[in-house]
Formats: sequence, C-alpha cells, structure tokens
Amino acid sequence: MDSIHVTKDSAFIDKLETKLNKNDPLSTWKLFSMAYEAELTRISPSFTGLRAPEHLPHVTFLDHQVKAAEQVVEEMNGRAILADEVGLGKTIEAGLILKEYMIKGMVKNALILVPASLVSQWVQELNEKFYIPAVAHRKNYNWDQNIIISSIDTAKRSPHREKILETDYDFILIDEAHKLKNHKTKNYEFVRALKKKYCLLLTATPVQNRLIEIFNLISILKPGHLGNYKSFLERYGKDRNKVKEDQYLKQLIQKVMIRNTRINTDLQETKRNIQSIWIDFTKEERDFYEYLDSSMSSHATFSKITFLREICSSREACYLSLKKIGEENTKESHIETLISKIEHLPHHVKAQKAVELIQKIGDEKVIIFTEYRATQHYLQWYLQQHGITSVPFRGGFKRGKKDWMRQLFKDHAQVLIATEAGGEGINLQFCHHLINYDLPWNPMRLEQRIGRIHRYGQNQDVMIYNFAIRNTIEEHIMTLLYEKINLFEQVIGNLDAILSELNLTNLEKEITKIYDDSTSTGEAKIKLDNLSSILKHTIEHANSEEQQYGHN
Amino acid sequence: MAITNLNQFVQDYFIAHDCPILENTDGVMTIQLTEEMDLALMNRPFYWHYINKMGVTGRPFQLTLITNPEKREEKGDWIHFGSPRLQQIINHLEEKERYTKLFQTIDTKINTPLYPWLVTNIKISYHGKQKKDEVLSIGLQLVNGKMRLNMMEYLETIPLQSSIADYCFTISPMIRLKSGFLRMESLVLNYLDDQPKEWAEESLITLKEELTTLHHFYEGMEELEQMEKEIDEINERYEPNITIHVINGGIFYLIE
Repeated sequence: MDSIHVTKDSAFIDKLETKLNKNDPLSTWKLFSMAYEAELTRISPSFTGLRAPEHLPHVTFLDHQVKAAEQVVEEMNGRAILADEVGLGKTIEAGLILKEYMIKGMVKNALILVPASLVSQWVQELNEKFYIPAVAHRKNYNWDQNIIISSIDTAKRSPHREKILETDYDFILIDEAHKLKNHKTKNYEFVRALKKKYCLLLTATPVQNRLIEIFNLISILKPGHLGNYKSFLERYGKDRNKVKEDQYLKQLIQKVMIRNTRINTDLQETKRNIQSIWIDFTKEERDFYEYLDSSMSSHATFSKITFLREICSSREACYLSLKKIGEENTKESHIETLISKIEHLPHHVKAQKAVELIQKIGDEKVIIFTEYRATQHYLQWYLQQHGITSVPFRGGFKRGKKDWMRQLFKDHAQVLIATEAGGEGINLQFCHHLINYDLPWNPMRLEQRIGRIHRYGQNQDVMIYNFAIRNTIEEHIMTLLYEKINLFEQVIGNLDAILSELNLTNLEKEITKIYDDSTSTGEAKIKLDNLSSILKHTIEHANSEEQQYGHN
Repeated sequence: MAITNLNQFVQDYFIAHDCPILENTDGVMTIQLTEEMDLALMNRPFYWHYINKMGVTGRPFQLTLITNPEKREEKGDWIHFGSPRLQQIINHLEEKERYTKLFQTIDTKINTPLYPWLVTNIKISYHGKQKKDEVLSIGLQLVNGKMRLNMMEYLETIPLQSSIADYCFTISPMIRLKSGFLRMESLVLNYLDDQPKEWAEESLITLKEELTTLHHFYEGMEELEQMEKEIDEINERYEPNITIHVINGGIFYLIE
C-alpha cells in the first residue's frame, strides 16, 4: 500500500536546544520520569476495547450500555442512531462514547443539540457522571471550542448559525432526533449542513415511523447507506410494513442503529407495581356531582365534561372554572347556585385519601401528579395542615427553579406536587412512589409521568397509585381506557406514532367530543370502549412489529 | 512502568514539588500546598494576584486526596485514573516536565569523563477507523552514534542528578543535537515501515466503500457542495495517518 502520512514533531528539538543554551530550569529526574510514567498510563495501547469505564469507577454501567458504546465505536465507526426505549439510558451510552473519544484524543470539540428544557440536565450529567467539561452555550461564547450544549432553536438562528456552519466539529450529538425525520424542515437542512466527524442521533421513537423517515435519519449519518432517495422510494414506497419482509433492509438498518428494549436488557428488574385506588364521594360531593351533571349544559368555552373532571380533582379547580363562566355570563343564575353549593362542600375525599396513603408510606418520598394548578395549591395547603412537607413543581418554572425544587424535594420535603407540564425534563429516580391524583386523558402524558421515576438509575420497584372516584367520569377513563389497554404496565414507546397514524393526535379532544356528542352516559361509554379497542389492536400489532428493527 | 501505585505516585509528585505531606494513612493523604502549587492546581489566580498586589503573604490551601475507594465518602477529592484532579496533575506534569539535563551520580576521587546522550520518549499514534498509541524510548550517544531502545528502563538503573558530580567532566558531542534527533526520526520511520499495516488497509477499504455509497446517493442530484462536504468528512474519518509526538527528552551525561 501507499505510504501512510506521518506527522512529525519537529518543534521539540529546537525548544530543547534553546532551553539548554539559555540555562532555563529543567526537570529533575524524578519528575521527568513521572511524566513519562503518567503518559504510559494514559495511552491507548490497543485499537479495540473501551477505556471510558475504567476512567469512571463511580458510575455503574449496565451491560447493554457498555455494549452499545463498544458497538458504536468499533463497528459503526462513531456514527449511529441510539434508539433505546425510554429510560434505558441513551444519555449514558452517548456520554460513554463521547468520553471514550475524548480519552483517546479523537474528539476535542463537540456540539450537543438538545431540547431547550434539557440543556442544563445534559450539562450536569456530562459534568458529574462523565467528567466531561461541557458547558451550556451563552452569549459571546465561541462555538468552535470545547464541548458546547445548546438547543437547536438557538443554534440555527443567526448569527450562531453562520458560526456553527463554518466550524469543523469532531463530534455532534442530536437529542430527540425523531424531530428531524422530515427532510424538508429547516432543522433537517441545518443538521445536514453541519461539518462533523462523529455523530450520534438519539431518539426513543424512530422505527415505527414511515420508512422514509428512517431513510432521512440515516442520510444524515451515512448518505447512500439505504440507496438514494429515488431508488429507495421505488423499492419501498412509504409503507413501513416492507421492512418486515425485507431482511436485507433490516440488516442495513442494524448497521447504523442500536435499539435496546426493556425485554432484552437487565433493567427489567425494577418492576412497576400498579395499584388502582377506588374512592367514593361523600354524600355531599356525590349530590353536587350529580347536580352538576344534570344542570349543566355544555358551554361555548367549557365542555360540561370539564367541570365533571375538575370536581373529581378538587373543589378549587371546579370553582375557578365556574367563576370564569359566571363572569362571562352574568345572567346565568344556576352558575351562582353551583358556586354557592361548591363553597359549602367539605374537604375533598381524595385529599383525605392522599394524606392517609402518604402516612402509610411512611418516611419515603412521594410524587403527586395532578392536572390542575388549583388542586396543586389546595393539596399543598392541605398536606401542610397534616404536617406533611411538600414542594410544588410546574413545567412553566424556569430551569433554575426546577433544579432548585428538585433539590428541595430531595433534601428537605417528603412530597413533590407536580402539574402536568412538569412531567418532562426532570429525573427523580431517588423517589419510587407516584400518585396519579387524577389521570390525564392522553396516555403519552401518563408515560412521561411514570418515566420521571421509572428509568435508568431507579433501583427499587416503582409504586404507582392511581386515584379514581367511583361512578364518575374517572371510572370510565380508568376502566375503559387505561385498564383495557393495559397502559399502566407496559411502556409504549411508540404510542405517539400510533396515535398519529390513527389520526388521533389529540386524544383528549377526541374523548371530550365523545362525551359532548353522546346523549347518555351509556352511549359515551360504548363509544369510548370502541376507541380503546382500536387503540388496543393497533398497539398489539405494532408491538409484534417492534422486534423487527434495530440492533439488539 | 505505567503508574501502578497511585498513592505513591501522588505523594512523590507533591514531595518533588516541596509540598509537606501532613498525613497519609489508609489511602487518605493531606498535603500542604506551596504558593507555586496552589497557583498550579487550585484555580484561584485572582486571589494570588490580589495577594501579590497587596504585598502580603498568601495562605496556600491544604489538599486532601483519597486513593482508597472505600474512603471516598470522606472529605476530600477521591482520585482515580479518570478523576479530574489526577488528570490535572498529569497535565501539569506533562506540560512542565518536557526538557531535562542530567548527570550520572558517581562517587569518585579521580577525573572521570561523562558522555552525552540524547534521550527522547516518543509517542506514536496510529489513526485509522480506531486509534492506537505506542511509546518508544530512544537514546543516542552523541559521540560514537550508538543507539539504544528502551532507554528509560536502562536509565532507571542508574543514579542521576541535576548537577555534575565532583571530579567529573563532560565530553563534547560529535553529533549536533539536531542531527541526532534526525537520526532518531529516521529510526522511527524505519520502524513504522516494518509494522503491520492491516489497520490502515481496513480503514482504506471502509473509506472507499463509503465514498462509493455516497456517490450513489448523489446520483442525479445537484448538491455538489453538500457532497463535497461529506467526502471531506469521510476522508477525515478514515484516511489512515500516524502522528509522532515527543513526550519529553533531554541530555543525559553518562559514564559510557
């Protein structure tokens, strides 16, 4: 073979000569030989094998994580899609890979693009777990130095965009890469234009999408790996079922993608224990619920169903909504009646149940999720009355406040009360009790809630308590939607894709519509049951297909 | 010769920098830093700047380093091969200890000549799909041109000091430093020629495969610029190459 290019070190000898001539201070034998000894320790004597784990003895890595990192470095040559199911530690795998390249001196600068809400979490994780000196991008930072973490929205805007596009990156990482599946978007074009050596795309849900979307992701890493656009479309069209039939295509995908599932990893050890907690309204509450149900008609801005859901959560939540339409329509006197009735209701039966349960759990940490801020406020007050410390958590909190609340919860409070939007972007593995104070109507959000605690790093079985009030709308949702599809037990990583395939992207709206359009509760229940059956069927079908993809 | 006893290594390092070891039991070591080492390790240049401006005496920190993993919960920095503190120490060592001039220690009453040796410790890195490093330690006698490998191991067996011993004198080199270094370089290049090349061949095969794939992808498309970018990336990633880096080196005066 032709000669291999060799870069020499010619500066050394000149420098040595200068030092000797100038009588500069020189090394003692002890320190000189120690420097040599240190470098012998630092070198990588072999082309194969990971060095990162021995550098990180404070972290326990799972087998599938180390294996994934090894595969990416040794077989995929540093360009891969990491598509593990939620909670199996894709971040860990990515950190291991980046660390490995940095130890070997193969990566000096890197750009890590993640959702804005996750930037500080990534910084923390890389700093603390991996000793990687990653920093969040700030104004006036150079884009071409060190390990920079930013959101893609910032990065693609001028003047950052121009600076980034002229930088040669040793390593690029894109989190939530399934958002890049459409090759016509600005984000896709931007990522494709980045100059990169090694590249990781992280996503929990790539495979169930249309084949052409996999094609687009792979084209960022290895253009042509699945053929060109035209030939690919001709051969596979837009039908994802083709993958099943095509062993060759499957193998090609496996060459650039790693997908671990709970089933094939040892993470399964921590289980989910699901407990449905059925609660009966007190007589006053029941009377009010029924009065509400019979007296309200659906309103222009509020569906009747909204009020019914709210009263199942707290008086306060319902009160606020009633108040609001009361102000809009001053004439409606029965709103006034409702408001005065609600003011006389006793403490909510659910709140009492929550206190009872928390006291039974004892000293351990508990997370309560509710859909309503009014409920959140009320609960915080109510718990305090019973000597239970709690901190609130909302998605709208600034990042710093989120981190602070997390820390308060970890160190000082027993309970964290979170509203829906708080579901994303915070890891609470140190806690393993979760109360679903009310159930979201979108199962994706339930998965996000549970995912906060049932993820990599959790070393206890996770206890999930689902509150539902008997003979109310909550019972329908619990039995007809959740229990029927078995949504509590299984992780349905691709649920969003399934919903979008069924044109059900807004399940909540769909359910509301069912109730609004139905003339009786019985009718609504049948319709809801039908909806669940379709979902159930599609999920089962997709699950059997799931195993077709990816390297595992 | 790689580091095996971390505790010993760190202790030697601080003693060599005149830092008193206040305590070292059971893998927990407390060191009193000097001003120089505080500046080098503790990352507080403003403090020292201020102290110097005011013309007062500063107070260097004490540092507690834990090498015993079982004690890692105690107060102090747990250090291991990957810890930032150890990496900082190693960086500090490699940056500062690159050049030396040393003399063999001899207890003698008669005039003794010492011969000059050029010694370099060279790291060779092979970059293909993956990367591998190798270290050569070479000595060249600058009078008769004799070359010796594993030089550091040989030097370990000889007592050395920073100034010339009594009754000793140095022989002037016949070979200039620069040409001595060139001789070493060609030795390394010859050595590289004799090494197995599979790693490079495999890398080239992958390189060609990926280029073919890439060309196929862009067939009939008019995205020349994007394609060129990706060709560059493939070359950058797979083109086999070797870098030579001198870890450290210097002049050694030895009795033969």
